Amino acid sequence: MRLGIVRGRVVLNPAVASFSGRTFVVLEPVTMENLIAGNGLGGGKSLVAVDELGAADGQMVAFTEGREAANPFWPDSVPVDAYCSLIVDSINIHAKAVSSGSEVGK
Amino acid sequence: MFLARIGGTVVSAVKHPTLEGCRFLIAQRLEADGNVGPEPIVVVDWLGAGRGNSVIVSTDGDIARAKLGNTTPARMVVVGIVDQAQSGETRVGSSA
Repeated sequence: MRLGIVRGRVVLNPAVASFSGRTFVVLEPVTMENLIAGNGLGGGKSLVAVDELGAADGQMVAFTEGREAANPFWPDSVPVDAYCSLIVDSINIHAKAVSSGSEVGK
Repeated sequence: MFLARIGGTVVSAVKHPTLEGCRFLIAQRLEADGNVGPEPIVVVDWLGAGRGNSVIVSTDGDIARAKLGNTTPARMVVVGIVDQAQSGETRVGSSA
């Protein structure tokens, strides 16, 4: 999983039937540099992921990519390749804690 | 599979139900020239790897599915803690 910051949401109409009722968030992946700096910035190339956890704008999530991203919908076949697996509360790295969301670095 | 160095731990209250009780670590991919990748990755660990350890991470979700069920989104799993590895002039080891 990579880390990403929720930057927004996508509404689809129309979409493939299996996407009905799903929430799609725009994620900005976080680089190690920004994670250590705790500056709330991402720095990676944005992507769209399915979110079932209710992640808010500015929150940091860990997202699964690839075939495994569709596992939560098993046995249904859903064309999903990015999925928010967890919402980050804090990260303990280099002996200092980096908090999630807008509180990053404070 | 690739080599990675463990940099820290992740705390998460809200997560996919199959991930309850899992240990999540921050890792950085190790390249053959000794550099690390630019983006941190979150890995599941059942072996007890800690900060500073070099590990092998598998990107295949089969182990996670076997342990956590078919609906788990877990993919990156620590499958071994490196004792010693050598690539050209670069050496990595968990005591390094």
